[in-house]
Amino acid sequence: MKMVQKMKISFTVNGDKETREVTVGQTLLKFIRNELHLTGTKEGCEIGECGACMVLLDGKPVNSCLVLAVELDGKELVTIEGLSKNGELDRVQKAFVEHSAFQCGFCTPGMIISAKALLDRNPNPTDEDINEALSGNLCRCGAYQEIREAVKASVKK
Amino acid sequence: MPSYEYVKCTDLKQAFDLLTGREQAYPLAGGTDLMVGMRGGKFDARLLVDLKDLEELKVLREDEKGITIGAAVTLNAIAAYEPILKNIPILAQGAHSVGSYSIRNRGTLAGNICNASPAADTAAPLYCLGASIVIAGTVGQRTVPVEEFFTGPGKTDLKKGELVHSVLVPKPYPQGNGIYIKASRTGSVDLATVGVAVQRWGDKVKIAVGAVAPTPVRALAVEEAVNEKGEKDWARAAKLVHDSISPITDLRGSRDYRYHIAEVLIRRGLEQTMGV
Repeated sequence: MKMVQKMKISFTVNGDKETREVTVGQTLLKFIRNELHLTGTKEGCEIGECGACMVLLDGKPVNSCLVLAVELDGKELVTIEGLSKNGELDRVQKAFVEHSAFQCGFCTPGMIISAKALLDRNPNPTDEDINEALSGNLCRCGAYQEIREAVKASVKK
Repeated sequence: MPSYEYVKCTDLKQAFDLLTGREQAYPLAGGTDLMVGMRGGKFDARLLVDLKDLEELKVLREDEKGITIGAAVTLNAIAAYEPILKNIPILAQGAHSVGSYSIRNRGTLAGNICNASPAADTAAPLYCLGASIVIAGTVGQRTVPVEEFFTGPGKTDLKKGELVHSVLVPKPYPQGNGIYIKASRTGSVDLATVGVAVQRWGDKVKIAVGAVAPTPVRALAVEEAVNEKGEKDWARAAKLVHDSISPITDLRGSRDYRYHIAEVLIRRGLEQTMGV
């Protein structure tokens, strides 16, 4: 029986396979920012209330502050850096730019990740679906109206 | 950072050995309460026993006994499970009321009840459905009614080394509507200030209330008035909830407000399930 304080994990991050040694107790959020150096994922409340640290784990949005880095073993991680392809922004990112769906921008990566996950599972969301999907993302500047418009505009016509 | 140990369990026996053999060993499923509690100093965990990949805890099925929900099944999976939506939608509503969409991708029903908050959103629906908690330990399994599982704020009937294995919502399912109504300060990511579950069973009703006593409670006096005494004035029946609850004042609401809102939500619940 293995009981370890450090553990080697293998995973995919934004399409690339990686193997790293992680410290048990480290959150996925800290691991992403401090070890993978992907600082688009933001550290906000650290108790799962603000959604700034949202990432996709096996395609599902999760608060990375409430996941241990060791739990990433064998999983597929997508962060905000993984959405653009060949230097081109994802359609959700473009829509956020076009609708000025932010002021300070701190909540934006988490918002976009939640919106992206919504559109992946439900290509034609209602207003209620959008509110539900973004229910775990706070914007302290209060850009909610523009954010909702941006998500609606990202729906494929 | 304190040093932690982590074990991803491959069978339940391993989990029992670790949980009984080690101080400061905590079971880990979704982690949405555990991680917050560790950070806030509520849980002094040193060994994390990860249960979420155990096949027998991932079971979500309907059979002749009813609906079995394994301890590692997420709240989003529960809220979307067709037999639950069809037969006991009140539980889907309760599961759907917890946290936010992303929290429910990790959090579990078993975790919600093991955390044993009097405000646990899934508890009141489980009370109304007569659910059983299947507890596993080194000496085998035992089953307790959900109403005996909660023993106080943050306290359950679980003994050291025991785990919630699954929750069974037994057949027969209720005939009639059920509704879970939650009063909270914000639309999501908030605990219930008061949570009320009202479930019609034919011409009878079962009512449970959260966040108004040390554990979730049944509103037995209201039930008796409606079921036994034929009370049809829902507002008058709802007032009787005062006999069943003992709310406190905290940051989510005052004692008086909770008395008031519990009554209001029960009246609304009766209107929506038993007719106006």
